[in-house]
Amino acid sequence: MVNPEQILNSNFQNSKFSYWILFVICVLVMGIFVIGCSTQKTESKATITIWHWMTDRQPAFLELARRYEAKTGVKVNFELYAPSDAYAQKVRAACQGNTLPDIFGILGEKRDFASFVKAGYILDLTPYMEEDSGLWKNSFFSEALSVNEFPEGNSYGVKPGIYAAPIDVMTIQMLYNKDLFRQLGLDPNRPPQTFGEFLEIGKKIKAAEIQGLVSGWGEMWMIDCLANNYAFNLMGKDKVLATIRGEVPYTDPDWIRVFRLFKEMQESGVLYNGIVTMINKTAEQLFANEKAVFAFNGSWCVNVYKGMNPNLNYGVMLPPKVSENFPMSIWGGAGSSFMVNAKSKNKEEAVKFLKWLTDKDQQAYLAEATNNLPANKESVREIPEVLSQFASAMRFATHPNVWGISEFSAVIEAFDKGIQSIIIGEKTPEQVAQEVQKIKERELAKRK
Amino acid sequence: MKTGLYYKTKRITINLFIHLFLLSVAVTCIFPLLWMVASSLKTQETIFRDMSFIPKEWHFENYYRAWREGGFGRNFLNSLFYTTSVVIGIIIVASLAAYAFSRLRFPGQNVFFAMFMAAMMIPIPGSFVPLYVLLNKLHLRNTALGYILCMINVGLSTSIFLLKTFFDKMPKELEDAARIDGCSKLGIWWHVALPLAKPVLAVVVVFNALNVWNEYVLALIIFDAKPLMPLQVALMTFQGEFITQYPLLMAGLTITALPIIIVYLFMQRYIVKGVTQGAIVG
Repeated sequence: MVNPEQILNSNFQNSKFSYWILFVICVLVMGIFVIGCSTQKTESKATITIWHWMTDRQPAFLELARRYEAKTGVKVNFELYAPSDAYAQKVRAACQGNTLPDIFGILGEKRDFASFVKAGYILDLTPYMEEDSGLWKNSFFSEALSVNEFPEGNSYGVKPGIYAAPIDVMTIQMLYNKDLFRQLGLDPNRPPQTFGEFLEIGKKIKAAEIQGLVSGWGEMWMIDCLANNYAFNLMGKDKVLATIRGEVPYTDPDWIRVFRLFKEMQESGVLYNGIVTMINKTAEQLFANEKAVFAFNGSWCVNVYKGMNPNLNYGVMLPPKVSENFPMSIWGGAGSSFMVNAKSKNKEEAVKFLKWLTDKDQQAYLAEATNNLPANKESVREIPEVLSQFASAMRFATHPNVWGISEFSAVIEAFDKGIQSIIIGEKTPEQVAQEVQKIKERELAKRK
Repeated sequence: MKTGLYYKTKRITINLFIHLFLLSVAVTCIFPLLWMVASSLKTQETIFRDMSFIPKEWHFENYYRAWREGGFGRNFLNSLFYTTSVVIGIIIVASLAAYAFSRLRFPGQNVFFAMFMAAMMIPIPGSFVPLYVLLNKLHLRNTALGYILCMINVGLSTSIFLLKTFFDKMPKELEDAARIDGCSKLGIWWHVALPLAKPVLAVVVVFNALNVWNEYVLALIIFDAKPLMPLQVALMTFQGEFITQYPLLMAGLTITALPIIIVYLFMQRYIVKGVTQGAIVG
């Protein structure tokens, strides 16, 4: 403890000392100013700047930038800002400060995308896409492009057009462990085709005391995804969209059947114990460590499993269909996309670079280096087998972002939580259907 | 009649329970750190398979890779520079402001103090966009100075509050004596108030050093140039959208945690004093 007496006895009358302190403070502040101002960024006009959040793709992007510079002399700066939530904040802040780069990506829902377009920050790529009889446009999977497209009469009030170029795509499907299939006495080259076959395997899984399907159902949207897949299969797209519009109730027998599928899965033993609260990271870890027979996951998992267990022997399959009335449907198409800053001085150069980046060779390189599905359909022939299996199901892909209509958040929440309740045996499918419908009616009444 | 043995047994039993409790708390605190170090020595593959605390094979090269692939060299120096500058800035401004709020009488004193305290209630993420726009207009975005000023601002409210509470309890007689001896107001602040406030200043230093050292979101938002980024942003390069390179991330975390642990170890004597200072002063 400092003795106050000692302090008072010190020679504090020397006011010169105080001036020295002030002098040091001034020097420090000046120093910070000099250092701070000396680092002000200067950019060459011939440089295209791209902001992104994709950590795993940065080395491949840098290699492609090097190739592009060697070919055209135009320098491309891929600037990585991770994690994605901080990146999203940076883009929003840059928007306010009018400092967006030449090319960037937007994270979030389609309404966020629409707000950027309406504010005039995103260049309409339609004229470029349609050049040379639509050469650029036709190189993409149509499902990938539709995510970046605002059709005529869209509910967001955006001028119709294509506003971004997809650089990769994804599909969400089921995966099965071929070694565990053999262990169960099943043919590893013949995954279950129907829901009945799937439930039969559940019984074998239960008898063998191993674990069945893992997925991030604790994150809810993945439950929503599988439930919607089956809704499309059972009643078709038109009836699902009619339900969202409020023309068909969730108490319809087809919807009750969708809810009942989850009860049947639980009863057969095909679901992993605790799947209801499982996050996708845990699900990926369990499947990669061969502790689960099935997984329901997106195509990004190929890279994840490769990192966790390079020897994992697995195949990809569509969710086993329940009905023959409509084709099985999966969520997909919505990968990562890049937008061009409409206010950029380099927008023409930026579009040229995007065209080059999404060309067949560059897309094949990206797929090979990052294990993501290419957005260019011509590159699919040159990618690894598992990725190819994911890509082959692209024709079954759909996504809420392309439906042109979206369900109320409260209804989605009740729907997903209801399915969780069914799995843990808390509620019956009929009860859940009634509760969801009640919330739907409440939300519809609010809108009126 | 209770014998000496009874009291001895009772004391040992009570001590045993107290120590068991404290040991369990200590283990809870130290376990994540040990797990971090253990994981930093595994591979991406074994981290999900080998759940043992001591890895079968020790991969010290993860530290080299984390340092090199994360570009830690420059970022490490940046973090040191930012932390030192911000902490010095906060100590100077906060101690002067707290002393003024405590000892001087000026119009609007309470309103200004209330405004500083109100700033403590604003969640930092809520101020990112306005800060970005402001820095951009002042041409301070993407500069070290802009970041340092923002971070000084972030730490001021709490530091002023802590220091003012301390100065309020400081005996006025000390200042009167200093004034009789011819000391100016600035001189009293420097010669009397600051030396007495050492334990509180230690708390302010550790609290703000931790805050600046661990900050990355604001840095990520206002900096475009990679050479300006602090260490924590470099750490994020190991955390992908779908894949996290856990061994490298853990090695990087160990590297980043070391300096702040050292600061804490050096200052812990003062921190304990700082916590109990309110009862001692006066």
